[in-house]
Amino acid sequence: MPEMTLDMRVNGRKVTRRADPGQRLLDFLRDELNLTGTKEGCGAGECGTCSVFVDGKLVKSCLMPVAKAQGADIQTVEGLARPGELEAIQKAFHKTGASQCGYCIPGMVMAATSVLREAPEASLDEIKERMGGNICRCTGYSKIIEAVALARDVVTGRASPAVLEPEGVGDSYIGHNVRRLDAPSKVTGRLKYAGDMVMPGMLHMAVLRSPHPHAEIVSIDTSGAEAMEGVACVITADDVPGKDGFGVFVHDQPVMARGKVRHVGEAVAAIAAEDAATARRALAKIRVEYRELPGLFDPEDALKPGAPVIHDYAPDNVVKHIPIRKGDVDKGFAEADLILEDEFSTQQVEHAYLEPEAGLAYVDADDVVTVISPSQNITHHRHMLSEIIAKPINKVRFIMSPVGGGFGGKEDMIYQGMLALAAMKTDRPVRLVFTREESIIASAKRHPSRVKYRMGLKNDGRITAIRFEMLSDGGAYGMSSEGVMRKAAILSCGPYEVENLQVDTTAVYTNNTPSGAFRTFGGMQAQFATESMMDIAAERLGLDPFEIRRRNMMRAGSLTHTQQRLTSASIDRVLEAAEQASRWEPGPVGMRGPTRGDLGGPGTRAPCTLGARFETPKDSKERVA
Amino acid sequence: MQRKMRGRGVAASWYGIARTATVDRAGAWAELDDGGTAKVVTGVTEIGEGILTVLAQIAAEELGIRPEDVTIGDNDTARSPEAAHAGATRQTYMIGNSVALACREAKARLFTEIAAHWEVDAGSLVAFDGELRAEGTNLAMTMAEAVDLCKRRGVVPVGAGHFTSHGTGLDPEDGSGAPWQAYVFGTQVAEVEVDTVTGEVQVLGLWAAHDVGRVINPRGVEGQIEGGVVQGLGQALMEDYQTANGHPVTHGFAKYILPTALDVPEITSILVEDPDPLSPLGAKGIGEPALVPTAPAIINAIHDAVGVRIRSLPATPEKVLAAIAEKQARAAGAREAAE
Ligand code: FES
Ligand code: FES
Repeated sequence: MPEMTLDMRVNGRKVTRRADPGQRLLDFLRDELNLTGTKEGCGAGECGTCSVFVDGKLVKSCLMPVAKAQGADIQTVEGLARPGELEAIQKAFHKTGASQCGYCIPGMVMAATSVLREAPEASLDEIKERMGGNICRCTGYSKIIEAVALARDVVTGRASPAVLEPEGVGDSYIGHNVRRLDAPSKVTGRLKYAGDMVMPGMLHMAVLRSPHPHAEIVSIDTSGAEAMEGVACVITADDVPGKDGFGVFVHDQPVMARGKVRHVGEAVAAIAAEDAATARRALAKIRVEYRELPGLFDPEDALKPGAPVIHDYAPDNVVKHIPIRKGDVDKGFAEADLILEDEFSTQQVEHAYLEPEAGLAYVDADDVVTVISPSQNITHHRHMLSEIIAKPINKVRFIMSPVGGGFGGKEDMIYQGMLALAAMKTDRPVRLVFTREESIIASAKRHPSRVKYRMGLKNDGRITAIRFEMLSDGGAYGMSSEGVMRKAAILSCGPYEVENLQVDTTAVYTNNTPSGAFRTFGGMQAQFATESMMDIAAERLGLDPFEIRRRNMMRAGSLTHTQQRLTSASIDRVLEAAEQASRWEPGPVGMRGPTRGDLGGPGTRAPCTLGARFETPKDSKERVA
Repeated sequence: MQRKMRGRGVAASWYGIARTATVDRAGAWAELDDGGTAKVVTGVTEIGEGILTVLAQIAAEELGIRPEDVTIGDNDTARSPEAAHAGATRQTYMIGNSVALACREAKARLFTEIAAHWEVDAGSLVAFDGELRAEGTNLAMTMAEAVDLCKRRGVVPVGAGHFTSHGTGLDPEDGSGAPWQAYVFGTQVAEVEVDTVTGEVQVLGLWAAHDVGRVINPRGVEGQIEGGVVQGLGQALMEDYQTANGHPVTHGFAKYILPTALDVPEITSILVEDPDPLSPLGAKGIGEPALVPTAPAIINAIHDAVGVRIRSLPATPEKVLAAIAEKQARAAGAREAAE
């Protein structure tokens, strides 16, 4: 689109710029005005990280063409408080600990400001409903809602501004609610994440990704893209000078596909260009000839004889099998009064950190190849990259940028290698920012699991034996599969002392999106099965669920599933704490819903019906029932 | 059955702290700096859990200054000592302890000089919140003065520390081994309401009791529990990454459904302290353990509410409805058979 002159007021100052009127208000604010407090979490109106006020109305700036803001009065998070100061809502976020990674926080602060402006008397339920369009992956929302309620009370005069001040310390800083030191930078949008950083002469990267789950790469022709004006370089696997491979346990993944692609979304080539739009346009000029291969999409199929082989080094498609044996399971089952068999499964889960992957690489004056990124493990990345680019380790430097959520999903070095190669090839800084779609298809997920369970018990609830068999789809690359299988196996049978057990966990390669590290690392998949079995057993034996757990729980001196002697085990204390806090009414597992007396008491909220909670008009005209 | 049915479920859990089945290690440097401030440098990675604040608290406590006087130099492989990755619920345990040890060394340097100056035993010195005094005497000065004096005596109060966790590998045949030196345990109770017409499940209350060893920052721990619980809730009820023949079909937030503020139960955290005897701080960790028992507690609560057992996550409204229908069909079949 031809450029036009745009006039608006932004944070109280007049702004005039010639710009593409079709670009999103979000990009205009971030790229033209360097107001990077406004974040892009999804680019599709689904997350609220890009919220700004346009003529006093809260809008998602990723959905608004900048031309529509012509003549408007815009307020971004940077414009809420004067530099060095915080508004009441920002102080409240600081006080309650409402910011964790901080990536959603500017949007949350804007949404909360909108609540305070439009519905200053809003109830807790209404606050939740009004904030419902903003996603946070870290906090579980509780402290955010608490902050909004606290600011509401201060703003409406129900509470003294003193409640926003820090708590005084007693005789120790350990155990004290010290306010987060990084909160002020997060609630003001001042903190720069990798995607907010710029360097002079910086190039922008775009990545060509595989459209096929499993295919041989016959040829890649980059000449059309290289010839385009504004393109600085195109890189493929051929540009890797050293040993190409990364992974948390096995280094089975090339920086870009080498010879074949193994999952949809795998990087095949990358382009660095003067601007992001040119880089994206140039992708279409790369010609890749693929020969499709039969794919594997189910972990059971991966183990069948004659199944397609995903990695030559693993002809049986097994990434890792972890066995654990303790006691004599046959004897244990023979002693059982009750034997239960069941199967459980869990799904693949996306990390959905609000900050999509981003990074910036350059070669410094001492020839040190430097990568800035929100990685969870730059120590290991440095080792792997030094092999990939064949440089001594002190010529490779990784700098951590603020991590906008990770949960395990940012342990894999899925893009830093490309950035380093492009910086080396052009001798210019190169930045890459994933789109949300790219982040979802190219990054690892929580391992899905299928568990076959066999449990033997005495009539008194004591477990005599367990056989536990878990199969997981590791997807196209090993990533953290080995460690996830190990942790799942070690923790499998839960916090119980079981004399006889046989545990096997196995992850296999398929052509699905890879599975990798995700908060609990296999622990939740395994214990979901065990904790379900405990209740199934309690129901059959007529026991209270706390009671069956107590009869089997580990104690000081217990031997774990891997035969480690525990010197202490706090399971008795946490069981009791949860039982008391929840005012648990003892009784055997069964369908007790309407009869139990402990429901609906303190510690519960009222159920919600959407739209029913606007006590104050949502905007000045309309009242929502 | 009434339309809205309520129920409660419990799940217990355990977890190991720091890297699994291997030796884990982390290092840190500390310097008591001018003005009674401090620099702490370590390869820590703040991923949002608040570890920088935790480390500042630890450094402040060990050095006798205030958390806001601590500057943390964080992860840069060319500038900070190795402290390895942000994962495995290891940062408070591994890096917290290395920072404590580095600070103890820096403080010992300072105390030696001040004790010599005051002609008292270094063991009688106590520093807290920016003030230093010798117990049993009237001697006192600020930490700013103490650093100044120490430097005038020719000593820069620096220290280095590292911490090791002695996990061992697993036997390849029977898996035996000691994968961690510190374990934590947790228990959660969930209260749900199931709409038997739509199959929708709402979690109304959640009580989470977790052993964290020793609480450094109570609100920080609660934040980890609340965030973990809501991720567990998402996995229990709605989140589902799907592919069709390898092609992702849930590649945006419009299709990949995440919990919002409206899905969140009231969460009550109960922090239990069973200090780790093998570490200077006693603290263990909470990041990952917080999410382990949530999904099974919710699924067990659904069973209590409507008598159906969901064996495959997530418990979507469709699955819950199908399970209720199947249960009713079975009950009807049983009645017929009995007649
Ligand atoms: S709503 Fe605009 S970036 Fe997500
Ligand atoms: S703090 Fe909300 S997404 Fe991280």
